[in-house]
Amino acid sequence: MDLVVLSGKGGTGKTTIAAALSELAKEVTRVDCDVDAANLHLYYEGKDIAREDFYGGKVAYIDGNICTRCGSCEHVCRFDAIEDFRVMPLACEGCGACTLICPQDAIELKPEKDGDVYTTQLDDGILSRAEMEIGSDGSGMLITLLRRIARKYSDDETLTVIDGSPGIGCPVIASITGSDAVLVVTEPTQSGLSDLERVVKLSRHFDIDPMVCINKYDINEDMGKEIEAFVEEEGLQLVGKIPFDDLVMESIHELKPIVYYEGSSAAKAIKDMWLTIKSLIF
Amino acid sequence: MKIAISATGQTVDSMLDKRFGRCQYFVIQDTETGEVETVENKGLTSEGGAGIAASQQLIDEGVEVIITGNLGPNAFELIEKSGIKAYKCHEMVIRDVLEKYGSGELLEIEESGPAHHGGH
Repeated sequence: MDLVVLSGKGGTGKTTIAAALSELAKEVTRVDCDVDAANLHLYYEGKDIAREDFYGGKVAYIDGNICTRCGSCEHVCRFDAIEDFRVMPLACEGCGACTLICPQDAIELKPEKDGDVYTTQLDDGILSRAEMEIGSDGSGMLITLLRRIARKYSDDETLTVIDGSPGIGCPVIASITGSDAVLVVTEPTQSGLSDLERVVKLSRHFDIDPMVCINKYDINEDMGKEIEAFVEEEGLQLVGKIPFDDLVMESIHELKPIVYYEGSSAAKAIKDMWLTIKSLIF
Repeated sequence: MKIAISATGQTVDSMLDKRFGRCQYFVIQDTETGEVETVENKGLTSEGGAGIAASQQLIDEGVEVIITGNLGPNAFELIEKSGIKAYKCHEMVIRDVLEKYGSGELLEIEESGPAHHGGH
């Protein structure tokens, strides 16, 4: 059972909620697919039990021994990534135009290390995550790898909580495809609503009607009502309305999931939401 | 006519993979000869645009029907414009998928939606 937590918009509290839900689930596999800003692991003192290099993109490489310095590659490169017959790896997009134009066959595309992939053992399951190199970004290929590793440690019964990335791009698509359920965490702002609409559309492409939760719903109740109206119009399930709660900031500072704070109104709302989600997905 | 099915393995006894762009293999059956061949999905090794890479591969293979779980927005657009028919199916053994297709039990994937742009 793969549950993907998405937001459309950044900064809505997606990771806070994904961490809280995975605590409530007990036996659980966690996947941090928000690889550009991976921070789920900060909540845990785990032990890395496996690490591998991740090679995603390719970068052109010019063999100086064969190159005749004709300059065709520099001319054809749309990314201005070739200067003085050398490729600047950070500018190269790996499109391969230079390899086609080179009359000497002096250029080839070589895989570039984009980051490290870790499997981290926690008390109640594993966390599959990545650390990217500077200049690299999350890709669907990497997300697919992280999810494949997670599956090795899970059976059909295990809940896998996937902390997705913001937006509706390739990494998000790779997070949703083949998943069983989507929870969208939004906030009561115009951009929160607009990004919610986009991620709902995307999710439906993969035949999943997402569940919606409004985080910090009481900071703008009018906007919150507008979002509620949208959710109802679309025939979706509003599974949680989480109030603004100062303790959430404290929990982030202390790196302890919010569900462990007695008297937290946000924690209570998340616990109620978890019961609703469980009844919907199991 | 060639039918391609997104698959987790290389034979008709393997399971259908609900993912299209990121599935491991495509099992392709030629309905005239009954022959089955398997190709590795090129989308799997694409950093981005997996659905597009997979679609292009099947277009090049001359496939006329695709059976999978879901198509992402970009793959959907490309396949629709290429005149290939796509059908939706649950996870089950490929042999049974082909049977269901033969008896007209599968639904066509028709939904259209917004594409995302950019190569990541």
